[in-house]
Amino acid sequence: MKAWSITLKDLQILFKDRGAIFQLFLLPLLFVVVFSGALGEVGKDEPDTRVPLPVVNLDGGPLAQALIAGLEADGGLRLESYDQTEAQGLLDEKEISRVLTVPTGFSAGIDEGRPVALRLVNHPDANPEQTEAVRLVIEGVANDMSLEIQLLAALQQMGEMQNNAPAAFQEAFSTEKMQAQARSQFERAQAEPLVAVRQRVPGQETEQEEALSVGEVAVPGITVLFCFLASQMAARSIYDEKKVGSFRRLLAAPVSKIGLLAGKMLPNLVACLVQAAIIFLFGIVGLRLLGLPAATLGSAPLATVLVVVLIALCSSAFGILIAALARTENQIGGLSTLLLWGMGLLGGSFIPLFLLERFLGPLPKIVPHYWATHALVNLMVRGLGWGDVALDMSVLLGFTVLFFAVGLWRFDFD
Amino acid sequence: MAQPILQVDSLVKTFGEHQAVKGISFEVEKGEVFGLLGPNGAGKTTAISMATGILEPTAGTVRIGGHDIRTDLNEAKKINGLVPQDLALYPTLSARANLNFFGRIYGLRGKDLKERVEDVLRIVSLTDRADDPVEDFSGGMKRRVNIAAGLIHQPQLLFLDEPTVGVDPQSRNHIFESVLRLNRERGMSIVYTSHYMEEVELLCNRVAIMDQGKIIALDTIKNLIAMLGGGVIQVGIPQVNDSILAQISALPAVEEATLMPVAVAPLPATGEDVETKEKAPVAAMPVVKVVAKNGQQALVSLIAYLNERDITLASLEILEPNLESVFLHLTGKKLRE
Repeated sequence: MKAWSITLKDLQILFKDRGAIFQLFLLPLLFVVVFSGALGEVGKDEPDTRVPLPVVNLDGGPLAQALIAGLEADGGLRLESYDQTEAQGLLDEKEISRVLTVPTGFSAGIDEGRPVALRLVNHPDANPEQTEAVRLVIEGVANDMSLEIQLLAALQQMGEMQNNAPAAFQEAFSTEKMQAQARSQFERAQAEPLVAVRQRVPGQETEQEEALSVGEVAVPGITVLFCFLASQMAARSIYDEKKVGSFRRLLAAPVSKIGLLAGKMLPNLVACLVQAAIIFLFGIVGLRLLGLPAATLGSAPLATVLVVVLIALCSSAFGILIAALARTENQIGGLSTLLLWGMGLLGGSFIPLFLLERFLGPLPKIVPHYWATHALVNLMVRGLGWGDVALDMSVLLGFTVLFFAVGLWRFDFD
Repeated sequence: MAQPILQVDSLVKTFGEHQAVKGISFEVEKGEVFGLLGPNGAGKTTAISMATGILEPTAGTVRIGGHDIRTDLNEAKKINGLVPQDLALYPTLSARANLNFFGRIYGLRGKDLKERVEDVLRIVSLTDRADDPVEDFSGGMKRRVNIAAGLIHQPQLLFLDEPTVGVDPQSRNHIFESVLRLNRERGMSIVYTSHYMEEVELLCNRVAIMDQGKIIALDTIKNLIAMLGGGVIQVGIPQVNDSILAQISALPAVEEATLMPVAVAPLPATGEDVETKEKAPVAAMPVVKVVAKNGQQALVSLIAYLNERDITLASLEILEPNLESVFLHLTGKKLRE
């Protein structure tokens, strides 16, 4: 209760300090805008490794377009459009390795329920593994399409068979309603497949994490950076109390030393949580309004919240450590600022982690910022879940305990 | 006899190699205003810090209201209040917000807290400025809020550590009045530390004089001053030996004559500029300290004695009997050196 009184008092002092308010709640938003906008594409200049697939669309109908869109959406192929003559010439000269032709009458044939065939012509010297991969992708997309069309046709037939059913039944299970329901299910299955496949090659996890831009990691990175910068607030608050003598007065009051330190940590914790909430809200709503790619809380928002709480705790414990080790105002204001910005830089607050690790190897892992950023990026950007950030959360908790224990050990209550 | 509100026994504090407090013992009775007088660095604040639980004693015991601070610190802390030497306040908060905070720290809530805040604001006469930020106050007003914060939980024993440092005369008088009122009207026991002997003489019943971590005298002010009898005369003469000292000691109205260990600059007369006086040349010759039974008679006989023997009088200083001269008598130093 007394720790809470100290917390309320410190928050009261904080909210009277305009400089602190700017640094805590507005400066991070400026950083998010700059990193999401101006620097947003940095890190995206990776080579395009998709397999090229020249396509000749002789049909031009809606189902041919839907097939091509499906192939495009698969992600593994880069579709290139040609006319038939041009494609044949390039194939003969081995300028291209294969060509997919959508024949005339493709859409009409499917509409009428006639079997149709796509034609994939490969150059004899084409890479057989790529050829097989392309064939499997086309076959997969075509099969999905066939299944969808056949199901819709079946529903049409079922609808027609209900002509003699009661009107209320026909109303409830009309052909249009059943087909609309089915289409909605197909669309959902494409966006969020019931069974997803995630490929991992042991030892090459970082390669899997590539292709994130600065813009995509801006919200998690800036959140981590500024949350840890807030640790200075706890350190400065303790320093100020010692300087004016109010710390002695509190020590003379019936407050335990642990209660006193908890009271100095809690305002930092509250400020960090409010700060993260503001950054997230801005990332989700503000960036969209500015026409920039918006952030999300990911598919496990509770995990995201828990990670933020852990980051806030770690930052608060780090504040106690700074207060315990720093002897002068300059050490709190100057040196610790440099240290915290340096840790942020090393821990991936500005640059995607895969790029950092490419140059620095495992070095970034020595700072808590790395684990915090890694966890938030995995949750918010990659859409991973609890299990994927368990290690990050454990390491953050470890840093918190370490910082607090050393801070308590070195803290000068006299 | 009632139990003393504060019992300090053989209290020691060591910082590394330095012993700041060297086994001091004293007691403060309920309702007493007790003075701790000594120059800066004498160990007063360290002693208070131990008594209030801020510092852990290296050795010795402190009991407040019967509670040993080693075993029952929280109970002891509830009984005492501290007004530290520093302005231990939050400058951007108002006086009321500061007092509300310190009240909550002592467990006060709701109506009780509100009443206590109004009460202490009245005591220090700051009710009309209660909602102004402390940073807008004058030095004296800040001191008064500092005192109010120490009173918020109605302590039975109040430690006032140099409460008038940097305060204008008007605020100083206000602080004196507040201290006396708290003691007389509310029966509050007070430990008052200062290096201003005038304050201690005005406020305290008994005084402990501290120097270099030790209590060198402890008694009522009357008894301490009585140590000097009819005052002290310091004479600078070119040559001193045991025979001369014995002869001076035997003069009428003289209690004793001793050679001072170091030459001491004469005390400034009332109203004289202390800084200027202290920079004046100090007698570079031996100084004999004469404790008089009767000041005037001793002075007459001393001058006659020196004239008879044709001894040059290089300097002469007559010290009125007060705590300053008691301290000088005991240590050979001035309080504010």
